[in-house]
Parts: sequence; structure tokens; C-alpha cells
Amino acid sequence: MAKHDASRREFLVRAAVGAGAAAGAAASGGLVPGVAAQEQMSHMEGGASAPGQQHPNGAEHGAFFNHADAATIAAFTERIMPSEPGKPGARDADVLNYIDLALAGAYAELQDFYRRGLASLDAHCRATYKESFVHLTPEKQDEVIAALEEGKASEFTYPTAREFFVTLRVHTMEGMFADPLYGGNRDFAGWRLVGFPGAQAIFTPSDLKSTAEFTRAPIVGLQTTAKGPMGRG
Amino acid sequence: MAIEKTDVVIVGMGAVGGIVAAELGKAGMKVIGLERGPRLSTADFNPHDELRYFQRQDLRPNWKRQPVTWRPHPSATAHPMNILNYGNQAGGGTVHYGTLSWRMHEDDFRARSQTINRYGSSAIPEDSSLADWPLTYADLEPFYDRAEYELGVSGKAGNLQGKKIDGGNVFEAPRQRDYPLPPLLDDQSGVLFAEGARKLGYHPFSSPRAIISQPYHDRTGCTYCGFCQSFGCHVGAKSSILVTKLPEADATGNFKLLTGTMCYHVKTDNSGRATGVSYYGPDGSDNTIEAEIVILAPFIYDNTRLLLLSKTDKFPNGLANSSGQLGKHVMAHIMAKVFAGFDDRFVNIYMGPSAQKQTIDDFNADNFDHKDAGFIRGAQISIGPADLEAGPIGTAMAMDPPPGTPRWGAAYRDFLAKYFSRYGAINAQTENLAYADQTIDLDPNVKDQYGMPAPRVTYDWRRPNERARVEFLMQKMEGIGRAMGASKVWRGSLSPGAPGAHHEGGTRMGSDPKTSVCNKYGQTWDIPNLFVIGSSTFPSMSGFNPTLTIQALAYMSADAIAKRYKSHPGSLV
Repeated sequence: MAKHDASRREFLVRAAVGAGAAAGAAASGGLVPGVAAQEQMSHMEGGASAPGQQHPNGAEHGAFFNHADAATIAAFTERIMPSEPGKPGARDADVLNYIDLALAGAYAELQDFYRRGLASLDAHCRATYKESFVHLTPEKQDEVIAALEEGKASEFTYPTAREFFVTLRVHTMEGMFADPLYGGNRDFAGWRLVGFPGAQAIFTPSDLKSTAEFTRAPIVGLQTTAKGPMGRG
Repeated sequence: MAIEKTDVVIVGMGAVGGIVAAELGKAGMKVIGLERGPRLSTADFNPHDELRYFQRQDLRPNWKRQPVTWRPHPSATAHPMNILNYGNQAGGGTVHYGTLSWRMHEDDFRARSQTINRYGSSAIPEDSSLADWPLTYADLEPFYDRAEYELGVSGKAGNLQGKKIDGGNVFEAPRQRDYPLPPLLDDQSGVLFAEGARKLGYHPFSSPRAIISQPYHDRTGCTYCGFCQSFGCHVGAKSSILVTKLPEADATGNFKLLTGTMCYHVKTDNSGRATGVSYYGPDGSDNTIEAEIVILAPFIYDNTRLLLLSKTDKFPNGLANSSGQLGKHVMAHIMAKVFAGFDDRFVNIYMGPSAQKQTIDDFNADNFDHKDAGFIRGAQISIGPADLEAGPIGTAMAMDPPPGTPRWGAAYRDFLAKYFSRYGAINAQTENLAYADQTIDLDPNVKDQYGMPAPRVTYDWRRPNERARVEFLMQKMEGIGRAMGASKVWRGSLSPGAPGAHHEGGTRMGSDPKTSVCNKYGQTWDIPNLFVIGSSTFPSMSGFNPTLTIQALAYMSADAIAKRYKSHPGSLV
């Protein structure tokens, strides 16, 4: 815990110095009582407890998903953002971990949405292919996802097939590209894929003039910084 | 239940509330400001987190606890909108906005008569309630000037006392003096846009923004980190109300801010005067403030909602609604987009202030001839990221892939990997006309966390005039994309009728109490000590972002209250 607090402080100081600003370093808080403020404080404290949220004992899921649902979500999100050598995808970024933790926390209200959606997905796959989603070939899995996107899976009621697809796509993107603090984007896999340098506190006039890829600084996350200058993984 | 007395109570401490509080406090009036969110500080905005602030909208109202519903027409069921583009903290939307700070054109203040004079009355769609403002640009110019200098706006004049200046906006209305701060530096998307636009004979310029390009008033200059729209500024270079007017209000010794408070009722007596407001405290307590002047300054929905909810036997249709115009003539910008992708170079659009970086004004307002165009009024066209901020989540949400590329799978992954740092989005911010049947009222089915009916918006931008304009602008933007040298140019998808950003209307100002809710000072015709200040009073919207005009109106109203109303209460016109 202490180590993480120290790294957070280090980031704050570095960002403030980099920006040439006294304002950032004098982090006196300034919050006043109020619902949103309390939420923010609890969020900040929660955030400070771990650089990249992880499950206890190195587990890959279980904050919300059972084993079978975790396997389905892992397979589904991997088809939305497939992993290839040099092109990190959902598995490399640990999108499953992001969604599992989000459903146990910030998105707890979507638990029923996911439970019902996963059951409908299973019903659709068994009715169409006589197999569960995870046992289908990648090509067949893509057919299923396309059917959901087009609203052509009659086994869905709430959520609708389209709603389930859209939500899975959004949550996959969040797991790919949200700060590693939230449990996905492992080792900045998503940011390396697209070449995003993270929360840089400053860009110089020569950075703004450059027509080349930005590689001057390491990727900056909320609590961790990539080793060495950024580059695509 | 606490009861307090004060001279002035202001509901909402955003773009308007902070200015009015500071100015009336300086005039010696005791002011209490009610703000439903917290008061944050610059230190709270470090470090930047796209998931929290952009995707989960941490500086904006929670759409489930404070729902605003939308339906395209009266026979449709309204559902809560899942993106609310306004603020939920002291400083309001100015904390997280993109900072575009425009003076409206001279003809924006008289869009109706301008159209009739130049094209005849048949050019105005029959069902539109397009109206002139009850004031002119010249009336507001001194207050635009004050807002630019007191808050801190960076830009370059294009029309200094009638003299046109290349590199500024040559279509702008004449200004008495230049901006207080030089323009912000361009990133590569701005450079490309300006080059392309010039090739086509247009007049590009660095958009005026309330971000200080140099140290100003003890604040540090912009660091070009790119986290503007959706984010608070981590160095305080954004000239938000939080770092400009609230400290001024504090220094008067006459201002008290109550955070975590939700105003639910405006109190009136049998003589027809406003006597104060009722509000819920952060602990759920029910409290009252008695005041000589009540000023409503929340985002537009809550003006109409509060006035409707505060009805009495004397005001059976809601306060300030003898005209029957309350809640009508609602407007919103929509953003038509064209993407430009570059195979041979990087653009790195995540660098620099994120929203609407460079602009052309050639197709805005009545700056071009609309004869035979099939529509009236125009749009500001600018360059920026897909959804005004340039992080990868926002890009994955808002950058439509070109036709033929899916939104998921290996091809989508490769598209995103290639173009994330190699694109710009050209964006037309359209001036949609006022129509009386575009409304805000109380949702009979959806309630907010306080048990109050949600504001319900009935609105569909897809009218013939608006559709024709979007098609015209799409073609212009495609031309700009090609002139920029893009390898690929493709159109973005359009919203399915829902209102976009910058909502206006609902408490329209005018010169006739029979057809408007308030006068040019936001003073309601029916209740002289009840004011509504903000974009809800706009009779027409212009293609420009409204904030600087809102702020200029706040200065003008505060000036009139301090100099005239305070000693002689009564109608200001």
C-alpha cells in the first residue's frame, strides 16, 4: 500500500514539475462535502490501493464471473479485438479482468444484464450450432457476433441481441484502452496498439510540429510508467 | 429545516452563477449560491483519466440519478439520455468544456429580419419560430470585452473596429480591441486544416478559446497536454469559473456557496413576487432561503422544470408563463462530421487543446449567399478529434470506420491501430432553427433521485431546413478533407434526431411580454425580482458555442441589477 501511495505521489510531483506548475504540487484537496465529492474521494482511495487492479491470489476472474461465463466473455471479447503477434488484443490486454472487476463494482447494476445476455447467447449458439460459444470455431463465433450486431438472434429479450453486442463492444474498448489501474490494458497493451502515450502532462512546440510518430517520452499511466520510450509492442 | 435570509440567491454556480455572484458581491449585495455538485480544485484534476472523466462522465450529472429524458415526437415514449453534456460542480460546464469562446455575429442577433430582408419571408420554414433578439451585438460588445479580459481568452482579432485582419476571423463582428492573449499554438491537424482551407479560398484561423496561451492573472499557461473537453485542467490554464470568478466572489466577503444542494422550488407570494427558494441539503434536509432577488442559472432543463414545478394558484401554468411560451423553442447543435485519414504522415491529434482547434467561418450565419441553397443559416466548421477529446476510448466510441470496414474484429483493430494518430475529424456545428414544438416539460413517468419529475425534451433535428444544410456542409467538409491531402475522406454517422450539445431555449427572451418569458436582462415579465440568465433565454442559437455569449449576458444583467435594480427595483426595460 505504501509503495503505491509513493508512486502516486511521485507521479503527481513529476506531472506538476513537467508542467511548470505550482498548482498541481500543492495538492491540498479542496473537496467539500457533497455526494459527488464523496464518491470522488472513495474512488481516489480505491484507486490508490493497487496499480492495475488484480484479483487476489493471481486469479483471472471471479469477482463476478463464474468459470464458464468468464470463458465465454474471454472468447467473445477476443473476437471483437483479436490478438496477433505485434498487435495486442483483448486477451493480451486482459479485457476479461477489466469487465469482471467493473461488474463487481462500478457497473454492478449491469450484473443482471450480463447474466441474462450470456444465457441468451448460450441458447442462441445451442439452437443454431448445437454447441456453446466457446466451442465454436472463430469463424462461427464471428457469425454469432454478426447476428447479434444485426439483431438477428431471436433468443434474446432483455437485453436485446443488439444491446448485448453494443455493450460488449463498449466494454471491450474500455478494457483495451482505460488506464491499467482499472484492470485491463495490461502493460499498456491497448495504448501500444494504437500509439497513445497516455496522460502526458506537457507537449512541447516541437512535439506539436512533428509529422512523425511520438516516441520521445515513456507512456504515462495513473500510477505506472512504461520502461523506456514508448513504442509499439 | 434551516431558514436563511439574503439579498440574492443564485441557483447553479456555473458560467452565469459565478459571474453574477462576483459582480453583485462587489456591489455590496449579500449573495448565496446553490450548487448541487461539489467544489473541486485544480489539484483534483491531476492526473488525467479518460475512463473516469470522458467515458463515465465524472464531471457531468449522473444520467441515472439525475435523468433527462428525450423523445423525437410527442407520440413516442421518452427515455433517459445516457450522455449529459453539462456540469455538475461549482464552475458548471466551464470546468470540463472545450473552451470555445465566440462573440456571435451581428446578424445572429437579428437572424429573422436578416433572412427576410435578404431572401424574403418565404425563406423561413413555415413552422419555425425563428426570432430576433431584443438586443444588438453593439449592446453586448462591452460585456463580451469584459468576459474576454476578466476570464482570459486566447485568439487573434479578425475585425478590429472595422479593419479586417488576415489570420483572425474576418467574418467576426467589429471588436474594440484585440484578445487579451495571443492564439494557442496549432497542432498538426490545425496546420493541415488551415492549409487545405486556404487552398479552397476559405479563411481559417485559430479558434478563440478560454485557455490562456501565456501566464495571465497569476495563472500558468497551457501545457498542450490535450485533456480539455470532459476534463478539468491540471494546471488551471483553462479559464473556468472555478479559477476565475469564484475566487473573486470569495474575496468580496459577501458570498456564500452551498454545495451538495438541490433547489426544488421557487417561492412566490400572493402579490406576485418571488420570496426565495427551497432546497434539499446534502443530508436530505429541507431548507429555505428568503431573498430579495432570485436568479436561476442552472443548465437550461432545470429553468423550465423549476418554473413549472413552482406553480401556484396565482401562477397556475408555472411561474413566468403568462405568455404560454415556457419550455418552448428548444434548440441544440448537432455535429456533422467528415473524417480525414493520412497514410503518409502522423497527425498526433491528441496533442494540444482538444476541441474545435482551427475554424472556418465562411459557411456560418449569413456569411455566404443562401439564395437557392434550400436552407437558411449555417455552421462553424472546425477540425478536432472524433468526439472533441482525443483519447483512445473516445476514438473507439466516436470515430466511425470508413465504409466497408467493420466496427469490430481484426480489420477494425488494424484500422484503429493505423489511424488513431493519423486522422482529423472535420466538424460542422450547425445552427438549428427554433421550432415551437421543440420543448422541455415534466416527464410523467421518470423521476430523479429527489423524487422530482425528470425534464423531458421533445426534439428532432431532422427537419427539411436542417437536413439540407447538413448535406451542403458534408460536401464542403469532404472538399476540405481532400484539400488537406488526406489519403481517405469519409463521412461520420449522424445522430438519430437526438439533441447534441449546447442546448438553448425554453425561457426565450424578447421585447413583448405576450410572446416571451423574459426581457434582455433575463428578468421575467411576470415576476420582476425573478431572473433567468443563460442560454435558455436565447431566441436563436447561432453556429457558435454559446458560453461567451452566456457570460456576456451575465455581466450585462449583473451590471443592470447593481447599477439600476438595486436602487430602483422594478422592470429594467
